[in-house]
Amino acid sequence: MMQRNSTNRSDMLVMGLGLLTVAVLTLGIFMAFVYAPSDLAQGNAQRIFYVHVPMAWLAYLAMAVVFVGSVGYMWKRSARMDRLARSSAELGFLFTTLVLITGSLWGRPIWNAWWQWEARLTTTLILWFIFIGYFMVRAYAGDRERGARYAAVLGIIGAIDVPIIHQSVTWWRTLHPEPIVLDTGGPNLPDSMLATLLVCLAGFTLLYAYLMVQKTRIETVRDALAERELTALFAPESETLDRRPVAPVSRNVSGAAED
Amino acid sequence: MRRVWALVWKDLLVEFRGREFLGAMVVFALITIVTLNFAFDLSRGDREASGAGGLWIAFLFAGMLGLGRSLAVERDRGTLEGLTLCPVDAGTIFLGKFISNVLFIVIVQAVSLPVFYGLYNLPSLEPMVLLMAVIGAIGLAGLGTLFSALAASSRAREILMPLLLFPLAIPLVIGTVRATTLIFQGDGAEAWPWFNLLAAFDVIFVTLSYIVFDLVLEE
Amino acid sequence: MDDNLGYLFAAFAVTWLAIAGYLLYIGQQVKGLRDEMQLLDDGDDAAT
Repeated sequence: MMQRNSTNRSDMLVMGLGLLTVAVLTLGIFMAFVYAPSDLAQGNAQRIFYVHVPMAWLAYLAMAVVFVGSVGYMWKRSARMDRLARSSAELGFLFTTLVLITGSLWGRPIWNAWWQWEARLTTTLILWFIFIGYFMVRAYAGDRERGARYAAVLGIIGAIDVPIIHQSVTWWRTLHPEPIVLDTGGPNLPDSMLATLLVCLAGFTLLYAYLMVQKTRIETVRDALAERELTALFAPESETLDRRPVAPVSRNVSGAAED
Repeated sequence: MRRVWALVWKDLLVEFRGREFLGAMVVFALITIVTLNFAFDLSRGDREASGAGGLWIAFLFAGMLGLGRSLAVERDRGTLEGLTLCPVDAGTIFLGKFISNVLFIVIVQAVSLPVFYGLYNLPSLEPMVLLMAVIGAIGLAGLGTLFSALAASSRAREILMPLLLFPLAIPLVIGTVRATTLIFQGDGAEAWPWFNLLAAFDVIFVTLSYIVFDLVLEE
Repeated sequence: MDDNLGYLFAAFAVTWLAIAGYLLYIGQQVKGLRDEMQLLDDGDDAAT
């Protein structure tokens, strides 16, 4: 019998985290729409900044966690590390997609262009492809264990490449400077804007933490189930072998966004 | 280290006896260069500015072909298992494959460059171009060997390897094309910062690939 | 500048919809896992 009802205490903590997340995010949205002043040059569209920047932060944070999980897996072959990596990769992919979309929606009214080949956006686009590659290697690896190993390779190489990509795109761009550079306010950010940004950053980071907790829990259960199915299949003396409906295929390739 | 050279020698022998793919790589590179000429239809000044891009796309695609084939052939013939049975560690196998891949790519480049210069009537071939070519080949082979090993065991191997390689090799593409363009335009001295970037890229990723190759070969 | 509000709302909407969608997706996964565990438990119970 699975230990589903492990500890009520940890469930309560997670719920607390969830509630805190909602609270901070609500405050953040309020501040983004009401408290923060309008930008002189960009008008109200500038407020997208309060969602775009946190998303970018999360995308790269998620990649960093994927790196940690991948290194951990390489070092110790720990399933827990792999779960950390693949959960964070899934979230990272979600956030990276959102960075690109919000970036486009911000760019269109400001630069009159859906896209700019500037360093940060370009690096994020490549990061998006790296996440896709991460899931594809898992999906095409054939079995779970191999998938985890191959994904770890990509997690390590990809994460280390990201700063290098950023640097090379920056140098490339200085040869062909774009007329308008994305203005995130830089060091001249007024206090109210800075405060709003920090609250939003905090709220979204909490969201990431909450989603990671939930996702890793799910993956833990999935791993356990897959193990269970495997042992049931291969344990000759098990009485349940005959009566078990055998369809473990989709479970063996875990980590892909869709089963 | 001797084992590494033994592996390289084995690869070279297999290739030159069986003519598996090196010839195809060269022809493919040449055809790509010619096709790009029709695709872009550049004037003389433009060729100096944009020609390097076309050249490196040809190298990239031809290299990709060779890298993909190299490990796929091994897997198909079961020789990869044979390799893992040998008392050599994963890193040594990587180095062997890596060096032979570098050699194959450089051979393709060595044949393509004069042809490119001839077809486009560019001024004389400068050694710096060769240097950039080799530096690029090293980086390409480094990551390419790793990823072709990753992809070799999957049913989508032909598409998976480039899919993984291209995004990660972007600094390589930027560096080599920029540097080569500067050289074509006569500003060779300014190409050195790019060379440094490429050299750093090579050192980092060949080392990393060597380290993580363990993860790939375990069976 | 007010026509830019459209973009602003679109950006926020996409973000929140995506997050909500993801939460739903996680919820579905949890439900699916619960069902599967139930199935296995029933199998166990029936066998013993």
